[in-house]
Amino acid sequence: MAMAYNLHIIENCLKCTFREQRLFCNLSREALTKLQAIKATSIYPKGTLLCLEGQPPRGIYVLCAGKAKLSTTSAEGKSIILRIAEPGEVLGLTAAVSNTPYEATIETMEPTQANFISQSDFVHFLQEFPDVGMKVAQQLTHNCKCAYSEIRSLGLSNSVPEKIAKLILAWAEHPIELHRQNGGGEIPIRVTLTQEEIAQFVGTSRETVSRVLGEFRRKGWLRIKGSTWNIVNKRALEHLVTT
Amino acid sequence: MNSTTPVAKSLTNELYASLPCEIREELEKLERHVMVPCGQRLLEFGVLPQQLMILDSGMVEISVPSAEAEVSLGTAGPGKVFGMRAAVSGETPEIDVTPLEDCEVTVIPRAEFLTVLQNNPQMYFAVAKVLSADLKIADQLIRNCARRTPARKI
Repeated sequence: MAMAYNLHIIENCLKCTFREQRLFCNLSREALTKLQAIKATSIYPKGTLLCLEGQPPRGIYVLCAGKAKLSTTSAEGKSIILRIAEPGEVLGLTAAVSNTPYEATIETMEPTQANFISQSDFVHFLQEFPDVGMKVAQQLTHNCKCAYSEIRSLGLSNSVPEKIAKLILAWAEHPIELHRQNGGGEIPIRVTLTQEEIAQFVGTSRETVSRVLGEFRRKGWLRIKGSTWNIVNKRALEHLVTT
Repeated sequence: MNSTTPVAKSLTNELYASLPCEIREELEKLERHVMVPCGQRLLEFGVLPQQLMILDSGMVEISVPSAEAEVSLGTAGPGKVFGMRAAVSGETPEIDVTPLEDCEVTVIPRAEFLTVLQNNPQMYFAVAKVLSADLKIADQLIRNCARRTPARKI
């Protein structure tokens, strides 16, 4: 298997071991064969811009490995992270389906493999294979649900510590392997966002993020060692979010 | 936010606009037309609708209920389709849709719609367009809120 940036490149969708776990990729053999023919596999280093907000749609990206941040820009020119896309997600779907400009800037956060499908190929693919249409509808349905959930949380007037606690608790749902083996106690998580990016995520300044994390550490709720964070007192974070 | 959702008017509604003539005719046979009075929910959070609804006349407000307040996504006018997410996924709606005036609505029973969809999978592209339009409205609100969030001190 070819490698780049320490990533095993999955060139053949038919042989991808992850496809059954992923909403869009779990397709019939015929559809996967067609997908294999129309997609272009690329490996991108961290910091690559896959598309820009407002740009006419060129196609979709199926994120095979790595993470990407979707961001927009405030009136003051500040970057605001809307969400982090995980492997298996289809990016640029709304723009490609409705033929409208990309709604967010998409930037890779780590070395990433993404399969690009041009808009015209994608639209034909969708119309030709019923299961692709169904998967696209499912993905859009899922995205709608996530968006409404996000809106519901926007309706609550969260403070910055609450927002950061909420973010940490969301990451705690995917602890690093060590915790799954030990089965309890502290929850180790891998945080790939910088403090600046966390600030962009929760709509505050880097200094405030630093201060809040310092406070969490002082209270003994969190231990931070590089990109590995240990959630020591999950209940305290949950309490902060629910009060 | 009180924007009005733009809808292609050329072919009466956002679903039919992307469908071939023969499928439109098939769906038209299933249509029923009802009047929904002002204030009566067209779509209700947590309640699975048994039909797809197409707004023919009048204005509705789309909102997302949350623990503290209702967040308005804006208003929509004739041509907007409601209940598509619930129809294709079987999941209950995450939104409320409330008529701001008496509205004429075309309803298509969910079960019959799904049968037509199953027999005409090429319809999925039109379905995806409707879902994309819903997602764009929600995403727009998220972006606007994110842009307005002030940097707060603790």
